[in-house]
Amino acid sequence: MGVLEFREVRPGAFVGRWSIEPSIGASRVDLRMPPHCFLRLPEMNCGEKGLVGPITISNLGSNMSVVLIKVIPIEGEPRSYTISTANPVVSVLGTGAPTLEAWVELAKTYVNYGIDHILLGADHLLFVLGLIWIVGGGWRLVKTITAFTIGHSASLAAAAFGLIGVPERPLNACIALSIAFIGVEIVKQQRGETGLTARYPWIVAFTFGLVHGIGFAGALAGLGLERRLLPAALLFFNVGVEIGQLAFVLLVLALIWAHRRLDAVVPRWGEAVPAYLIGSVSMFWFFGRLARVFAAI
Amino acid sequence: MKLKPVRVLMAVAILLTGTSAADAHVVAARLGDFYMGASHPLTDLQDVVLWIATGVLAGTLGASKGRWLIPVFPIGLLVGLSLAPVFGTVSTQLADATMMLAIGMLLAAAAQVPTLVLCAIAFAVAVIRGAANGAELGPETDRLLFAAGLACVGYGVVTLTMALTVVFKRTSDSVTSWRAIAVRALGGWIGAIGLMMASLVLAS
Repeated sequence: MGVLEFREVRPGAFVGRWSIEPSIGASRVDLRMPPHCFLRLPEMNCGEKGLVGPITISNLGSNMSVVLIKVIPIEGEPRSYTISTANPVVSVLGTGAPTLEAWVELAKTYVNYGIDHILLGADHLLFVLGLIWIVGGGWRLVKTITAFTIGHSASLAAAAFGLIGVPERPLNACIALSIAFIGVEIVKQQRGETGLTARYPWIVAFTFGLVHGIGFAGALAGLGLERRLLPAALLFFNVGVEIGQLAFVLLVLALIWAHRRLDAVVPRWGEAVPAYLIGSVSMFWFFGRLARVFAAI
Repeated sequence: MKLKPVRVLMAVAILLTGTSAADAHVVAARLGDFYMGASHPLTDLQDVVLWIATGVLAGTLGASKGRWLIPVFPIGLLVGLSLAPVFGTVSTQLADATMMLAIGMLLAAAAQVPTLVLCAIAFAVAVIRGAANGAELGPETDRLLFAAGLACVGYGVVTLTMALTVVFKRTSDSVTSWRAIAVRALGGWIGAIGLMMASLVLAS
């Protein structure tokens, strides 16, 4: 990640500097400012129009995925814009009311960011897979996934607005532990016992949804979003997370349906394997994350 | 304008022979090498046509024969991927065309292929396509993550295609039912594409 600050020194004229230099080196970032702006760092001149229009970084990749552009005007509050690999173009809104085009840009950026976040979050997906495994299909699954969604949306919003704050490292260890809990519940179900998740799946999904939601908020933290954009960014990010989660649930359900159609079910001796696999992976993550908690103390 | 079937087939064959390295690197930059492995074959027409043809063939033979492909196909992809450095950049177009022609003819003839032969065909397709996908990898790609993505998407595509085919063409259907004829017609098209593709490869 890199952070580039532009401080307005007189109307339309800015001084820019990298407050956090990107890992690939500042000189290698292919930064393009709006066409009417003349940029030669540390100077940038946008004339009478001011800094309004598209900012692009076309060479983001696996070495550097996010750049934060901070604009500090002479008058008014500082503003921040996030350029990511998912959306390498952002529109600078200016100090006036945001236009429709600006809202569309914001939606594209944060919906994509939400989709990326859930698709790369193997721990969240494993938890959802465990829930599907226990609950099966039908309305019970709809209720369970809805409860998980409500849970993580509520805590994501609370964390993003600063109402709650949990240190990231212990939280990540708790998320790993929540998956281990689901693994244990699957084993219980296979032994014919009725576990808590089998009895009250939506309560378990909602409770752990709260934990996972704070984890999602970690993705938004540190991007330095300006206050007026936070509600919209949060909404779009959450929409992206839901799109990714729904796609994953539908894919899993389609594969379960296909296996039933083909009579390709796990043999009796291998029924416990997925639960132990989920449990083992989650405990591996838990101990790894716990080690990071103690290393930070 | 009326689309003539032969023109459509020619266009598909030309598209297939003209395909080069599938451009999934945008996905790699965005979501990493696992998703690159999962999306890479879906951006290549040769993979799409051959994988679906294999799934349809297995599905028409019924669930009891087809389900063996659930482990066989991803394993074949992994074997092909591991053999990619041996093959290097050797073009697989003729092998792809031959497999397309063979699978298309089996579908068109509604041949009752034994399970072992079906598994051998699917394994051959998977090895060829796994090698083709692996040949395009750069040194910066994490091969383990790419292989996991490729195996997952191979498993998903073949399993879903087989199940959909089993639902569409029930084993109780007679050979003269419209569903059976539709599958045979699809086989004829796949075979024709394979034949044209082979001709174009040999002529070039």
